[in-house]
Amino acid sequence: MFELDLRSRAPIYEQLVDKIIELIISDVLKPDQQLPSVRILSSELTLNPNTIQKAYRELEYRGYIYSLPGKGSFVRPALAEDNSARLLNLEKELNRIITEMLYLGLRPDEILARAEDLLSAAKGGNIND
Amino acid sequence: MIEVERVSKQFGELEALHDVSLAVHQGSIYGLVGSNGAGKTTLLKLLAGIYKPDTGNIMIDAQSVFENEAIKARSVFIPDILYFFHNYTIQDTADFYAHIYPQWNHQRYLKLAGVFNIEVKRRIRTLSKGMQRQVAFWMGLSLMPDVMILDEPLDGLDPVMRQKVKQLIIQDVADRAMTVIISSHNLRELENICDYIGILHQGKMLIQKDLDDLKADVHKIQVAFSTETPPALIDEMQALYHEQRGSISIFIVRGSHSEIVSRIQAYAPAILDVLPLTLEEIFIYEMGDNGYEIKNILY
Repeated sequence: MFELDLRSRAPIYEQLVDKIIELIISDVLKPDQQLPSVRILSSELTLNPNTIQKAYRELEYRGYIYSLPGKGSFVRPALAEDNSARLLNLEKELNRIITEMLYLGLRPDEILARAEDLLSAAKGGNIND
Repeated sequence: MIEVERVSKQFGELEALHDVSLAVHQGSIYGLVGSNGAGKTTLLKLLAGIYKPDTGNIMIDAQSVFENEAIKARSVFIPDILYFFHNYTIQDTADFYAHIYPQWNHQRYLKLAGVFNIEVKRRIRTLSKGMQRQVAFWMGLSLMPDVMILDEPLDGLDPVMRQKVKQLIIQDVADRAMTVIISSHNLRELENICDYIGILHQGKMLIQKDLDDLKADVHKIQVAFSTETPPALIDEMQALYHEQRGSISIFIVRGSHSEIVSRIQAYAPAILDVLPLTLEEIFIYEMGDNGYEIKNILY
């Protein structure tokens, strides 16, 4: 169902957590949809089952999934997580991008114009879906 | 559950293992790595009940392993140098194992024939090295072991077969909570399948830890300043390793990611990259700390 980059330096369970969050946020995994069992996923990705268990526990702790004993893990519909850390990261990233754009010679008003374009595109995306 | 308590083993003058302890929980895959001659094979042979420890205890499910038939009946040891009876075919070997091991599962054996795809009438000694290793796994997995002890198990297998064998092992770990201890030099391979790692060097256990904790604990940092790297920073980092490549400083540092980043941010670096280490790098730096390092050798 998805691939991990096993050559990446990031710990595998972190990659797994990030990947599943990405799939949930982008609505590929729908609310209340069942996640693959530990057994199936470990065999598909050739990963230690304990690593997958650990990733599922982390996802559950962070409120992205819930588990039913004997049934498996499911996507939790409404997300009640504290996003401040992630937002802070994104802000840093934005800062880095803007700094680089300025360095490459874009004027502040050009950057603003592009950001406005992107913003209206992101808003429009939902309507034209 | 495998428990090794303060085990030492000597061969004549040579102390192969000194005061080694470890624990492998049920359903866990423990990766044993180490320099050449570190004592990995000795440790695995002790676990398999082939050698008797000079001091200390080796227990599987709270029973001593040495000369213990009940334990041996449900564990498999695949050594680095395989042994099969002379002139035996695969079928002969399977019949023999079925007779010896009470947990032998004939259905499994027949099913695995489809995976390994070697004619059962072939004499094992006529098979290639890699095929012989496949036969070892075929037999080992057919006897439904609770414990698998594997010494350099994937050596000589082609990439497709490696993947298949790893999948088979993982399935048994997921389905039956089989416990596995595996030695290898292929650290990248261990990284995917092990959840616990032990590093052995000159007969001593240097470090053993949950693999994710091990990786979360050490970082490689690349940092550059618009002027010179502040000497105060170099002092403050207390790095395991520090190298200056032109204007870029490379540090290997222990500690939590966020704490390290905030410490360096205080010096306003122009570039800051923090990377987790690969198992290979952890191995090299831990070994370097113990006087076993890669020196640039020029002839």
